[in-house]
Parts: sequence; structure tokens; C-alpha cells
Amino acid sequence: MNHFTFSWGTNYIAVRGLLRSLGHDLTTPPRITTSIAERGIACAHPFLCFSGKLVLGQIATQLAQGERRLAFMSSLGPEACRCADTSDYLRSLFADYDGFSPHRFGGGNLGGALTNLRSHFGPHIRKSQCFRAYATFIGKVDLLHKVDKRCTRLRCQSSAPQQVRALEREALERIDRAPGPFALWRVSRWFDRAANRLPLRDEPPALRIGIVGGEHILSELDSIMAVIKGIAEGGILLDWRSGFRMLVHSDEKRLAPLKTKCRDYLHEAPSTSEIFSCAHALDFIAEEYDGLLHIYAFGCMPQTALKPILQRIATDAEIPLLSLAIGDRFAEEGLEGRLEAFIDLLSARKSQGVTP
Amino acid sequence: MVTRIRPLRVGVPRSILHYEYDGAIARFLEALGIEVVLSPPTNAEIFLAGKRRVIDELCFPIKIFVGHVAVLADQDIDRIVIPTVVEHVNGRVFPCHPRSRLFDIVRALGVCGADRLLAPAFRFDRDGLTAEGFVELARQLGISDADAERALPKTATPAGRSDRPDDLDRPTLAVVGHPYVVEDPWANHQTLRRLEVLGCRVVTSPTSGPVGPSPDGTGLHFALAARTVALTRIFDRDPAVDGIVFLLPFNCGPDGDIARHLTQTTETPLLTLVLDELQSSAGLETRLEAFVDLLEPARVGAGGERR
Repeated sequence: MNHFTFSWGTNYIAVRGLLRSLGHDLTTPPRITTSIAERGIACAHPFLCFSGKLVLGQIATQLAQGERRLAFMSSLGPEACRCADTSDYLRSLFADYDGFSPHRFGGGNLGGALTNLRSHFGPHIRKSQCFRAYATFIGKVDLLHKVDKRCTRLRCQSSAPQQVRALEREALERIDRAPGPFALWRVSRWFDRAANRLPLRDEPPALRIGIVGGEHILSELDSIMAVIKGIAEGGILLDWRSGFRMLVHSDEKRLAPLKTKCRDYLHEAPSTSEIFSCAHALDFIAEEYDGLLHIYAFGCMPQTALKPILQRIATDAEIPLLSLAIGDRFAEEGLEGRLEAFIDLLSARKSQGVTP
Repeated sequence: MVTRIRPLRVGVPRSILHYEYDGAIARFLEALGIEVVLSPPTNAEIFLAGKRRVIDELCFPIKIFVGHVAVLADQDIDRIVIPTVVEHVNGRVFPCHPRSRLFDIVRALGVCGADRLLAPAFRFDRDGLTAEGFVELARQLGISDADAERALPKTATPAGRSDRPDDLDRPTLAVVGHPYVVEDPWANHQTLRRLEVLGCRVVTSPTSGPVGPSPDGTGLHFALAARTVALTRIFDRDPAVDGIVFLLPFNCGPDGDIARHLTQTTETPLLTLVLDELQSSAGLETRLEAFVDLLEPARVGAGGERR
């Protein structure tokens, strides 16, 4: 049975891995374009975050193309933003499409996730099949994360950025084709060897910028993050540590040390996105990065609530912070202009010997 | 010379959580014998005090809340309570993110010294805030658990108001939305009063009793959005209610999500009003008048008889 989904970056590859493990398949979601964004803006309420509007635009586009079975992942855990578990909401938005059926996969824990899979595909699904499906999903999420981070670093460090882009493309294709955990392990080994062979620049990075923000926007590769990553090829080291991998692996045990790290700024509350962003910002400051870049979708509640807190953190640490809210009026030229100004500011500080 | 020791004065912002939980925190503090200073009703000065400090993207009620804290911070008050409402005891229903981060936002903005803030963590159930948060608040004030337990019964919500419409010659309008918008006349731009001036009877709570902060059956994860959906469904089934006005504060994500759903699923005429600081009173009055005019033909049944 074929499904469709929306793409936050490359996460659809992991969702497809899960479905293929169970004998089903997933259509590759369309790339984010202006027309898709406009379609989402038209069918969403104005206060929905921009990521949500992009998602709705992709869903509407694919429904118009005849797709009907929507598959999406959500744990419904404390990290769940308003976009999670919105099956009823999606049904009310797309009621005109006969046969539209949203299916949420995942659960608060493994047991819940297994029950959830059986509720969709029937009780005949064996436990071992479910385990293999989730192992494939998580393996792909982990490897996609690794490839993304390593290639972003290599864009700065390598003297041949076009080879980095080619390596990233091939790695994504191999991850998509890998049928299970063992094949993923082999792709991972191949990627490490290929990445190690790339020629490196002689000089260290001119600047180091730590990126924090909404996982959904940071995963968006087609336009927004393509612009951001473009600056890495100018010899600037970009680093971000969040992403879907963090959400997939978030549980109280992993979150506890991050919460402890953030306690001067964040009170105890059941949230994840803010905890990651705050903890990573504090890590970047401790590691003496030159600046912080906060990127989030306009209307994202956790990241909007975090914004004044990040401003306080940056003030306390005397580190430059640029907050970029990506919204309906997003324009690549404006984004590039603001980034260039920020980089000029960081370069001037560094040349004058100002350190955080 | 005898020095008289002034009793502890604790400030409570007359905003968000005060309305949401029917003043339970202020009542608890009073039951403990503490002098409670409630910030004045919202006005333009209070709002501007918040707006000046808060980033533009945060919602209208958060700006009002920060203004209330700023007003309290300027007074001769020892501590200000900014509770952190964490989650429903079932772990599946939450306040929205900015509401659960009120303390962090106030602290980060430097509205007042962190040492003056009291930030007990509360959980809630369908009846309201649970006891643990009150006990924690008492501990932060150096009051024993036993004294806190004795004060707890006095925090109970007062008997439900009866909004039963008794004058069926006037159109009856139900107003739904977050309590801190519906019950704060400045935040709702006097919408309730304006409706009454237009000759309407206004109800805000159903005759079946108060709807708790997280009613069952909506499947929603945000407590107040669930409450609004539940309230709207009750009013939709009530034959005495001619129309429903949904007050939606600007930039509220959860309520934005349910706005279209309510429009599509409610049979009673429904008007959604988005409220922000730039509201024009002329425009608001025109919309309310048009909505009330629209209700009149619907209230007249076949043969010209009123429903």
C-alpha cells in the first residue's frame, strides 16, 4: 500500500524505510517551492507556524495529485508541538478529498509504537517485524543526521565543496535504498571512508557559528537551510546539534542533564525543543564559538517563548546573537543580506580581538 | 522606639493564571494570612508597560501579563507569584508553551529581580490546580505543609455563576475563549459590554456548571483550546443560545487551530473576533452590530413566532 508524507528535510527517507520494512511504500514528497508555500498559507489559519504551513502546502499538493494515505511520525510526547497529532484538524482542513486518511505512527514508548503500527496494518504484523521496522527507521534517522552534520562541516573544511555536495547526494540515495539495519551500517562505513578522502583546506575556519532553533526549520533543506549552508562554503564553520534525531531519541534520561544545564534560564516544564536550543546555545558559548544563530519558524510557540531567554543568555555571555524568524514573507535575498551583515559583525569583532 | 514588622506582602498579577484558575492562588495566600496585592484591572498603561518589554511575536495576553508584573514590581511588595503550570496530571494535556514559560520570560526580560519571584510548579486536573503546587508555594514562603493543607479548602472555586438566560425576548449570545480574555474587559475591548448595549443577553458559562480547564472528549493537547471546544459544543446544543462569539487573541496558535474547526462544526451562528492591541473600536462595533442583526431573522420562526 502506498502512502505519502510531508518532508522536513530528509526525514521522509526514514519514514519510507519504516513502511518498506512492512511491505508498504511512500511517495517522495515534492520539493518546497513558492507555490507549495502559498498553497499552505492559503489553507492554514494565519497563526499557524510557517513550518506547519509548508507541511499543509505539501499535503494539499499531493492530495490534488491523487494521494490519499498520509503517514507521519509523532511520539505525542512532551515535545509535541501543535502540529503533532493533528489528524482531526487535518481531516477538517481536507474534508473535500474523499478517502483522505491521516495515519500517525510512533508512540510515547516502544510498546505504544508497536500497538500503533498494528492498529494501522492489522494484528497479523509480527512483533519482530515491528521491531525491524522501527530499528530501520531509527537507524536511518541517525545516519541522516550524521551525514547532514558531517557534510555541513566539510563544506567549510574541504577545498572541494562540490565534491561534498556530490557525496551528500549519494549518501542520501544509499540510505534510502538500504533495506535494514545491517545495510545501514555498511552505508555508514562507506560514508566515513569517502568523507575522510575529501581534500581539506589548510587554514582553520574563519569563524565558528553555533545554530539553534526549531528542528523543523533546521531540517528544511530546499531553500532556507540551503542559503544558511551556503555560507559554510565561505570558510565558516556551522554547527547545529539538534534535529529529528534529538526528537526521536528524547526521553527523560537523556533530557535530564540538558535540563540541569539550562536551570539558570529555564524552569522545569515538559518541553523539548526549548531545552535543546537553550542547552546547545550554552554549549556553543562554553566552546567559545564566535556567534549564535537562532532560526525558527514564525509562529513556533516553543521557539518564540525561548527568544527572550536566548537574548538574555547572549547578553550575559556577551556573544552576538542573530534571530531569524522564517515566515510567510520569507525572501532568500533578505536572509542572505542579514547573514552577511551578521558575519561582517563577527569578523570585525574577531579582528579586533573581542571574544565572548 | 518600637519597630512594627510589616506583614509579608505578595503580589499576584491580575492576568492569565488569575483568571484561568478563578483567583485560586490569591485565595490560598489570603487563607495563609498573607497580605495579597492584586495588580489593578488591565488598562492601557499596564499593557504598554508589558509591550515595551516583550518581543513583538509573543501573543497579546503575554504582553498584558508582563505589564501586570511590571506594575507590581514597582510597588512596595516583597514577592510576586508567577506559577509555572506544567501539565495535566494525565501527562497528555498541556498549557501552551509561552504560558508554561511565564516565569522564564519574566526573569529573562529582567522585569524584576529573580529573588522577588515565587515560581511554584503546578499540575492541574479537570477541577483546577492540584494541591502539590499550593504546598510548594507555601514552602517557598516558609510556611509549613500542615498550615498549607489547612488553607487548601479555601482555594476551592466559588459556586458557579448562573448565566441562565431568563429573558427570551432578547438575543442571547454566548462568549467563549480563554478566561483571561473573556473576563478581562480591557483585553476583550469591552466586547461583553458592547453586546449588552446592543440589547443582547451575554452568557459565558453553561447552565450545566463550569467547564474545567481540560474537559475530556476533545482529544486536544492544549488545555484551553480543549475548554473552548467543549464550551462551544455545549452552547451549540443549548436552544436558548442564539449566537456564539469566539474571542481569539492575536497570534494564539492553539485557538487558531480550532477556529476553522469550530466554524465548520457549529450549527449556531458563530463570530470569531481576533483581538490585538491595534483593535479599532468602530470596526469592532460594526462587526458586532452586523452579527446581532444577522441573528434576528434566525430567531423568528415560521409564522413570525419567536423561537
